[in-house]
Amino acid sequence: MTSRSSWRGRGAAAFLGLVATVVAASCGGASTVNKTTATFAELPGSAPNYILPLAKLQFFSVANLTQFQYLMYRPLYWFGKDGQVQLNDSLSLANAPQYSADGKSVTITLKTYVWSDGQALTSRDVQFWQNLVTANKNNWAAYSPGEYPDNVVSTTINSPTSLTFNLSQPFGSLFFLYNELSQISPLPQHVWDKQSATGAVGDYDQTPAGAQAVYKFLDEQSMSVGTYNTNPLWQVVDGPWKLKSIDTTGNVKFIPNTMYSGPVKPKLTEFDEVPFTADTAEFNLLKGGPTGPNAIDYGYLPEADAVQAQKDAITNLGYSFQPWAGWEVSYFPENFTNPTSGPIFLQLYFRQAIQSLVDQQTYIKRAFNGYAYPTYGPVPVKPTSQFVSPFQQTNPYPFDVTKATGLLQSHGWTVNPGGISTCTAPGTAANQCGAGVPAGAQASFHLEYASGNPAFDAMMAQFKTDLSKAGIQINLSTNTFNTVIGNATPCQTGHPCTWDMEFWGVWVYSPDYYPTGDLLWQTGAGSNSNAYSDPMADQLITATETSNSVQAMYQYEDYLAKQLPVIWMPTTFLQLSMINSHLQGTGPQDPLANIYPENWSWS
Amino acid sequence: MTGYIIRRVIQAVFITLGVTLLVFLLLHLLPGGPARAILGPRANGVQIAQFNHDNGLDQPVWTQYWTYVQHLATLDFGYSYKLNQTVGALLAEDLPKTLVLVGLSYVLAIVIAIPLGIYQAVRRNRIDDYVLTGASFVFYSMPVFWLGIILIVIFSEILRLLPSEGPQGATVGDLFGQFTSLILPVVTLALGTVALFSRYMRSSTLENLVQDYVRTARAKGASEMRVLFFHVLRNALIPILTLIGLSISFIFSGALITEALFNYPGIGLLFWNAAIQQDYPVILGVVVVTGLATILGSLLADVLYAAADPRVRYTKA
Repeated sequence: MTSRSSWRGRGAAAFLGLVATVVAASCGGASTVNKTTATFAELPGSAPNYILPLAKLQFFSVANLTQFQYLMYRPLYWFGKDGQVQLNDSLSLANAPQYSADGKSVTITLKTYVWSDGQALTSRDVQFWQNLVTANKNNWAAYSPGEYPDNVVSTTINSPTSLTFNLSQPFGSLFFLYNELSQISPLPQHVWDKQSATGAVGDYDQTPAGAQAVYKFLDEQSMSVGTYNTNPLWQVVDGPWKLKSIDTTGNVKFIPNTMYSGPVKPKLTEFDEVPFTADTAEFNLLKGGPTGPNAIDYGYLPEADAVQAQKDAITNLGYSFQPWAGWEVSYFPENFTNPTSGPIFLQLYFRQAIQSLVDQQTYIKRAFNGYAYPTYGPVPVKPTSQFVSPFQQTNPYPFDVTKATGLLQSHGWTVNPGGISTCTAPGTAANQCGAGVPAGAQASFHLEYASGNPAFDAMMAQFKTDLSKAGIQINLSTNTFNTVIGNATPCQTGHPCTWDMEFWGVWVYSPDYYPTGDLLWQTGAGSNSNAYSDPMADQLITATETSNSVQAMYQYEDYLAKQLPVIWMPTTFLQLSMINSHLQGTGPQDPLANIYPENWSWS
Repeated sequence: MTGYIIRRVIQAVFITLGVTLLVFLLLHLLPGGPARAILGPRANGVQIAQFNHDNGLDQPVWTQYWTYVQHLATLDFGYSYKLNQTVGALLAEDLPKTLVLVGLSYVLAIVIAIPLGIYQAVRRNRIDDYVLTGASFVFYSMPVFWLGIILIVIFSEILRLLPSEGPQGATVGDLFGQFTSLILPVVTLALGTVALFSRYMRSSTLENLVQDYVRTARAKGASEMRVLFFHVLRNALIPILTLIGLSISFIFSGALITEALFNYPGIGLLFWNAAIQQDYPVILGVVVVTGLATILGSLLADVLYAAADPRVRYTKA
């Protein structure tokens, strides 16, 4: 930039002036910015398009929840504090829950909050949510059979500020708070409890049929994106922001809710989210600098451009580079139900051999340019949390070709480095290949991964090379993220099913923040994509749901870290944020993908 | 001619139906189905069943297709699984933007390419013809995304004269309110097309310049300008008219790369994202519109051809 400026400059004075400007910009400067609004870059293809907090799964996304709905409709309990996964008492709408002595009921006491129309937020608003979600659970994204709201038998309103949930059985306080109460969002019953736009507000939610009719009406209203800022329903909010305008392409403008009862009131006069068609388009705007036309204040460096030179170029323009770690883990499942490869994957020694050939540090360094972190088990090692055990903070299976080769050889495989290893000692003895693995079985598999990410391409190419050192051949192919997800389901009788391994990226623990694995690795769980089943794992997962101690979590995660229900891979950041250096109050970034524009101000 | 047009329009309806049937069947051959692709890895069996039921995907394929055709007859293109809008609304929002972008680029290309082609033909095998031919080949062979990035670097990042993104907003009015934002995407698209059209125009003009009617006109004392713009131009335009007619389908199918590069959401990008997300109703909606545009473009080319050349007449065989 300096040389370009000097080329354009004609005199020494002009040159010095430019240099001074560049230096000031690159230092973050003591200058001030005369702005009262801020813009936030949406990720490509993720414009907000569903406003009802009780979202269906196809609308269950960061764009719709944490970066849209939560700005206007606050959850009962807020998670995310100081950049860590923990309850945020200050931002929660209720005091800490009180459990009965037998653990079969929990009482919630609300703090003093009002809706933007001046009406108090009451326990009736929580009950309204409860009734809607119970009667429409199959339409609710976070529903998992047997869990919330199935485990709430009844709700008792004690007073306008207190209610009690009666539970089907005692649950652990951590599990119930982080995974069940975390999902509740009080809704303005006095405005939304109606079945048509012209109908009167009533108590329709008190019967299942009525609650279904109310949900149907609200869902239909939520299908008209362009009317969100004019429809009277959505004008009543309890969060710090109200909608000023929104269009169907994703341009969203928020203004402060002057009635917000929370502890931090917005300082900006407007907060805007802007859509992008592609990472390239966003990056082009970043390169225009924070004062360029349509400049972004809170954007991101695309992963494909995450090299030092590009990072430096953008930060020199006046942006601050801040990688954003999410509450997520990365892995790929091996298909235990594949008739050919499934019996091989079911052998723990074979999974250990594969995991020992995953050179996470090299992938992070070479494929992700350092912008990723290792995964050693089901609980993320970043960000710092109380949930990661001491054992899981180190790699149980560090990269070790010799160990991987030894594991195969000691279990009846003839290892052919650079070629394909074969099972030459079938059987179930300790030194044989294992149940269901026939003589001549080949260590040759197909791995399909999500396309469009150069870092994935580089990582997978290196992984293929690493596996070949122990004679494990993988044939790589790519497909769209959605297709990879679609393929990764357990085989069913009568349906063709040939996949061996599918890699799509990460699993995000949200809005069930307690990383119990009940949705992922419990026998028969909805998202158990490779049909992993282990009675001990089931028992440990159940213990995480009923124990009040984090020790139960440690036992569960240590076991799965060793048992390898999937192969752990490096986890990428949520995004590599580029934030206008003059924009204050943006950090630390929330691992649960929440944003707090009410904290932002200009220096 | 009227009978010919009516026959072609009727033909277009059947061809469009055939295209929808083909695409419909191909979509249903995709492994996994749209439910898990749309709902993501969190989806459990109950939610997948609910999604399939809500969207009629638990019905036999023929029933689904018949339902789709019935809706299509009333111009109901269905509802996007992912975008929370009717396909009709999505088309109504994105198609005009693409028409503006690609339409303007074609107009610009034609305005530049036709005189350029004639000029090159007149100046054939001289230094300026060689330079322009070289430039044409450079622009024609340059990938659109590369050309777009170069223009952004020069005009947005170095000179800071033009915005690096296209106009933002949901309506066509929004687009024209930010006219300077249209310049780079339009020019990016137009430069390649200028190269194509000017090459055709040059060849066509050269062919006509050696025809007997040109020699006759000159022998009768017509000025060179009159020969060129009164006699040669009309005949030389015939292949260009065909080219323009056939290009109409491109106007409707969008300019995916340009749209992505300049943050300009049009129908090309809509189709691309729908294909990735297995959003069947959107895919089918765009296919129907593009199919119709292709057929009508071809028809338009035939009509223009006949209008430009009186020797061409369409009669029933």
